[in-house]
Amino acid sequence: MNKRQFVQQREPVWQHFQRLVRKLGRISVRKIPSRDVNEYSRLFREISNDLATVRSRGWGTELENYLNHLVSRGHGTFYTAPPGQLREVLGFLTSGFPRLLRANIWYFVTACVLFFGSGAMSWIVIQNEPELANRIIPESQLSGAKQMYAKRKPGEESGQNGGFGEQRTLMAGFYIYNNVGIALSCFARGVLLGVGTVYTLLFNGIYIGAVAGYVVTQADAERFLSFVIGHGSFELTAIAVAGMGGLMMGATLLHPGPRTRLQALRERGIDAVKIGIGAAVMLVIAALIEGFWSPANIPAVVKYIVGTLLWGVVILYLAVAGRGQ
Amino acid sequence: MSELFLQTRTSSSSDRVSAARTDERGSTTVSLALQIETPENVVLNYQLAGPAVRITAYIIDFLVRCGLLVAISIFLIVVGISISPYASMGAFLVFMFLLNWGYYIFCEGLFRGKTIGKHAMGLRVIQEQGYPLTFWSAVLRNLLREADALPGLFTGVGFGVYGVGFCSMFLTRNLQRVGDIAARTVVITERSVILPREPIILEKIQPLPHTEIGSYVPPPHFLSMIEQFLGRRFVLTHGRGHGLAGILAGSLAKRLEFRGDRNLVEQYPMAFLARVYVTFLHYQEDKEDEEHPDRLSPGIRRRHLMTTGELA
Repeated sequence: MNKRQFVQQREPVWQHFQRLVRKLGRISVRKIPSRDVNEYSRLFREISNDLATVRSRGWGTELENYLNHLVSRGHGTFYTAPPGQLREVLGFLTSGFPRLLRANIWYFVTACVLFFGSGAMSWIVIQNEPELANRIIPESQLSGAKQMYAKRKPGEESGQNGGFGEQRTLMAGFYIYNNVGIALSCFARGVLLGVGTVYTLLFNGIYIGAVAGYVVTQADAERFLSFVIGHGSFELTAIAVAGMGGLMMGATLLHPGPRTRLQALRERGIDAVKIGIGAAVMLVIAALIEGFWSPANIPAVVKYIVGTLLWGVVILYLAVAGRGQ
Repeated sequence: MSELFLQTRTSSSSDRVSAARTDERGSTTVSLALQIETPENVVLNYQLAGPAVRITAYIIDFLVRCGLLVAISIFLIVVGISISPYASMGAFLVFMFLLNWGYYIFCEGLFRGKTIGKHAMGLRVIQEQGYPLTFWSAVLRNLLREADALPGLFTGVGFGVYGVGFCSMFLTRNLQRVGDIAARTVVITERSVILPREPIILEKIQPLPHTEIGSYVPPPHFLSMIEQFLGRRFVLTHGRGHGLAGILAGSLAKRLEFRGDRNLVEQYPMAFLARVYVTFLHYQEDKEDEEHPDRLSPGIRRRHLMTTGELA
């Protein structure tokens, strides 16, 4: 058979296959009739064979490109990923994410030590010597923080509350934009041998600790702590979790084991990004709490109780969810 | 673009880390060709996307994101004036966050590895193994954008210089940035390909008479080269096309021991090539119908042996 006869004979099959690929691309995987699946799989192998034939006989690059295109489209359709489902998302959040975190618990511990350790240290230092705070935080931000958590004068409560209520949506939006963004870049910079992640964790730990130490001594400690305790559970833990994802990538590049560094990154990358997305989801929850619950005009005692409960929820979620499956 | 690069065979399964590779003759070449072996044992050829098209796609995407941001700002300003300025500012910040971190994930996840800019430039992200981009890979490669974009300029609006990304692209064989490496993805150029048409109307062309040629039979790949040349003859100017065809026609006439009209070879080399093509098009069919060379007549047998290389 020569090229001309070959093309004449096979062309209807190719056209048919092209129509079939287009049709299968349009409809959902579950709705494809079994007849089409059979036909598709048979035609796909036939056309793979045609491509091999054209190549081995050297029948020209144009024909080869055409068939290559056809087979690669078929390949894409045949080996396509199953479509995402809501059930999978829920499964990831209720069990997949905490399990993955527990499987890599030492990265989480390391990130916690870096973040909470540096935070606690700077808190203690600043609480003992508040005048050191301006070494860490610019003066203008310090006075802003002092004003925000200043001791309430009698009768101020109701007046201020109206303004705060208006601002809640704005603040929730800002927390999502700012905090989730910081967490995601903390994760992403881990790919640079973990340096970016360690830096972000230490920087935020020291900064947050310094603000806490300064406000507790210079402003209304109860007002600050009751504000922070509610969302702190999700927010602070999530920053450590995001750092954990970055450390996983950094560590795999530094200690690839019996693989090349790039192979090691390929193997660990998907696990790390799942941790990063888990952190992002936690931070969105934290932003909603911070925007709408934390500034609410509720007695401090209630906020402490709810805040402690939320810490319990976070710890229980990370420690227990998805066990025994 | 591929003409600028010498193509060599590569295999995606091995893990060498350089865009420069060594071919059989030991010379190092740079190639945009990516070959992937499918489970059907067919090697698929893909064309990798170079930095220039990817930058263009990035800029288009950036403009699209800016346009979306402006559109949503106008909408939210209108809403904010009439309802609640704080709520609309909050919504604006959430939207900006989604645009910075979610635009690429959303587009690539939904449109099978394409964003608007990539679509405009004919690019697509696929997995290294050739199958479509998976969700988690799309998330990973686009979160790591942050690291690739370093040193970042104007990071508030999500625009980066991509210093890390470029270094990584030039150091890896498949032009992958760091996010691509981690997510096992490559960016390829997609062209719409149509079935090539017959270059000439074969019925109108006379084969060369058997008395005018010797016993040489051009191999099949030689004939398809003539066919492709004729198919693309409109790309060249008349003079240039004839000049090129003249070289081929001259040496082909010598090999064929062509005894006919010299004028045909010299004045109408393209017509000569077309006639050679038609002559052996039918000859090939005859040859393949006969399975055993022993049964052929001595003259044809000699031709057969010459094509298979036993008689050189």
